[in-house]
Amino acid sequence: MARNPYLPYPARIEEVAVENAARDIKTFRLAFADPESAAEFRYMPGQFAELSLPGLGEAPFGIASSPTEAGYLLFSVKRVGLFTGELHSLEAPAPIGIRGPMGKPFPWDRMAGKDLVIVGGGFAFTTLRAAIQYILDPANRARFGSLLVIYGARTPGELMYRKDLAEWQARDDLQVHLTVDEPDADWKQHKGVVTTVLEGLKPSSQNALAVVCGPPVMIRFALLSLGKLRFADDAIILSLEMRMKCGIGKCGRCNIGHKYVCRDGPVFTREELKALPVEY
Amino acid sequence: MIDKRIPHTDLDRLLDRLGKRGAVYAPAKDEAGEAVLAAWPQSGPAVLEYRNFRLSPKALVLPQNQTLMCFKNGDVAEPALSDRETFLFGVRPCDARAMLALDKVFLGGDQHDPYYARRRAKMAVIALACARPTSSCFCTSVGGGPGDAAGADVLALTLDADLLLGAATAKGRELLASVADLLTDAPPAAVKEAEEQIQAAENQMAPVNVDNIALRLRDAYDSPLWETASQKCLGCGTCSYLCPTCHCFDITDDVRGGTVRRVRTWDCCAYPLFTLHASGHNPRPTAKERWRQRMMHKFRYAAENFDQLFCVGCGRCIRNCPVSMDLRTVLKEVGA
Amino acid sequence: MIASHEIETRLREAAEGFLREKKVDIFLGYEKASFPFRTSPLFLSAAEKARRLVWNPFCTANLAVYLPRLFKAPADARAAKVAPPPPTVGVVVKGCDTRSVIALIQERQVPRDKLVLVGVACPGMMDARKAERALGSREALGAGEDAQGNLRAVVEDGTEVTLRREDVLADACLECRSPTPSIHDVLLGSPVEAKETDAARRRTAEFESKPADVRWARLQQALAKCIRCNACRQACPMCYCKDCLLDQTRPRWVGAGTDISDVTLYHLVRAFHMAGRCTECGACARACPMGIDARLLVRKLNLEVEDLFGYRPGAAVDAAPLLSAFTMDDPQEFLTEP
Repeated sequence: MARNPYLPYPARIEEVAVENAARDIKTFRLAFADPESAAEFRYMPGQFAELSLPGLGEAPFGIASSPTEAGYLLFSVKRVGLFTGELHSLEAPAPIGIRGPMGKPFPWDRMAGKDLVIVGGGFAFTTLRAAIQYILDPANRARFGSLLVIYGARTPGELMYRKDLAEWQARDDLQVHLTVDEPDADWKQHKGVVTTVLEGLKPSSQNALAVVCGPPVMIRFALLSLGKLRFADDAIILSLEMRMKCGIGKCGRCNIGHKYVCRDGPVFTREELKALPVEY
Repeated sequence: MIDKRIPHTDLDRLLDRLGKRGAVYAPAKDEAGEAVLAAWPQSGPAVLEYRNFRLSPKALVLPQNQTLMCFKNGDVAEPALSDRETFLFGVRPCDARAMLALDKVFLGGDQHDPYYARRRAKMAVIALACARPTSSCFCTSVGGGPGDAAGADVLALTLDADLLLGAATAKGRELLASVADLLTDAPPAAVKEAEEQIQAAENQMAPVNVDNIALRLRDAYDSPLWETASQKCLGCGTCSYLCPTCHCFDITDDVRGGTVRRVRTWDCCAYPLFTLHASGHNPRPTAKERWRQRMMHKFRYAAENFDQLFCVGCGRCIRNCPVSMDLRTVLKEVGA
Repeated sequence: MIASHEIETRLREAAEGFLREKKVDIFLGYEKASFPFRTSPLFLSAAEKARRLVWNPFCTANLAVYLPRLFKAPADARAAKVAPPPPTVGVVVKGCDTRSVIALIQERQVPRDKLVLVGVACPGMMDARKAERALGSREALGAGEDAQGNLRAVVEDGTEVTLRREDVLADACLECRSPTPSIHDVLLGSPVEAKETDAARRRTAEFESKPADVRWARLQQALAKCIRCNACRQACPMCYCKDCLLDQTRPRWVGAGTDISDVTLYHLVRAFHMAGRCTECGACARACPMGIDARLLVRKLNLEVEDLFGYRPGAAVDAAPLLSAFTMDDPQEFLTEP
């Protein structure tokens, strides 16, 4: 009999790390409580899961780790409400439920053999980290072309995954450009918005795909820039957020037009989004 | 399809017989004299003189309040799914058809809903054809009909002192076979009269034009008509809660003592909180966007996803709206 | 009554005049619904459409419910810079509706100087559900008032059925103490005297005379039908809070489902929030699809408010709302000596 899709897998918090200077984003490393659950939970970067805390409910979060990072899942969570407030107060080895994996991942079949431009802003970098780690894994790297990552935040303290960013910048099989709106005295990299850096670097759109995740205003300007760089609508990949409950396309809440962000998304190409009403 | 007959006076015996196999629901009158689908047996005989129930039967497959699981002391317990058969008698064809719409949502896709699936699998629907539609009925315009058997296992029809019956599914055949001793064959004249009765009922309904409604709605997405259409809407949720195809739900955790129940409750896209993000952003900030969503979901998105309109023309939303909004008016204006 | 027809004509003239002379930006009234026994609210902005307005015994909705959203303040200073000025709104109000408008003015939700109140002295409104129940399974195709004020309905087979006025008047109207609008810019219809001025008190006393367990059982029985649709709250002009306490998740005061304890809490909390504010217009009871009379609890609380503080909601525009003010001689025998 098929598993009850409303039932979370039991898991534990293994480690909690504060991600940003404002201390309202934490990354949780979670591990399944039993090997069967771990084995059943097979996912690809771009997908999300609903984390479950009895008494508080559930909330959806992008999976920030790649399946190549075996034995655990990373979720970065910003404290904004009831559920996230409680989650932020927890430490290892608190129990937690994981329901998923949900949604459609980034289009890995299409991404193979292409040059990839990844543009991220602020807190929305979670599934992009998963994607980058997946691409960089030795078993996968050769399947993809060049990798350009542009990641921006308001201040240096708001950049997430700084240890990973430093490791990536030390590598030669990808380029990582970081930018902030308000640098501090130690900041030596770009200043300004992500789109300025993007337009300055002028990545070629030939045989390339762009993946964009960020706050709505960043996405809007990034789309304009990518248009100028001649990226076609079906070559631009976005990941959307919506208020969700069931996560499996039944409760009727997260739709944009006839598509449910939880089931048909959260990954959409720009071409797909253009066919949908602007209600997000 | 209609081929069996039972006198009205024997209906109670048939219901009693089904009652030995499981739970039975049949029409009754409540203290205010309104028809309701109530648990059988009742204090009097089953009622056959009514138009339709105020509440749709969807609560029997999708309860207003349903426990999905319980958490206690670190363990999770799923509620035992009922093994009991349920027989619904007296459901109108529009409401039976609505079950098919709900099936598409809850049984379809790559995840099926075990709570809904079990209730549905254990349910048999004996629909009662309509002889007298009301002025708010428009089932024929949305693919149904007063004698339509879609969604029903058995179709019944009252004719003079008799109830005519016919099986519409294998489950229906089995059901009628199990009470074969109470039934006689319906004479051809009666069957013919039944068909005429259904035809007459169909002719009584004022048509509502839903030709190409999905396309018309798509083209009207940015029309100013949504502003005027939604002005009166109070956001009260009555339409959705009474609608037999509306299925949007919420999942919340209910904490009582040491036990946490994760419950599913009905929700409504007309409520302001329905799509409110934790960040404060709301993609549907005013009544206009929410009312438009309601119409789009029922007449366009459902068509695009399931090839079926999520409106069965029962008219409950029209009759019960506290400010008498009528979606037929909006349908007329779309693409006009 | 011919009076209804006269009022309707004068109402249309007044609305047309106000709109044409731009004395109002929007005029709120009632129009024909697609059904007998009902009207539907009408938002008019074009003078030539004023003839869509109707006045009849089915003008039951309390239009004051739409006023707070028409005068919603901008979210912040930046929004205030680009926000259009508040509209001038004309609105048809009966006696109970007027008291709701007054209560909203008292609570600073709507400005008096942006309202044009077209008051109608109200002889009582008819309840669609009562009329439909009286007809049983016969459906009305049309309905109107006869010269005696009774309801005459034409049913499907063409026959006429007369329903006595007193059998179909709304429950709230049977207890009405303020049929004539106390403030207005225009008054249509001759002032109506309240008839049974102690009906509310009598009904409340009747319920209170029963033993406590009987009262509790009756309350639970009525509330057991509640499907938590929130229609009562949404139809109420005094429920204008942007974030209703009963929806809050931090903390979650009331669960979302139909557990009887959550249902009871919902209604009790709402009743207490209505004490001294509810004008007993009956919009809640009319909106409820399950036929629950939500006025039962508030009626009792309002009578206590009247007895303890001599205050009636919506009686005077310049009165401070009851629970926003106190006087040194407020009754306090419920406080105990230490």
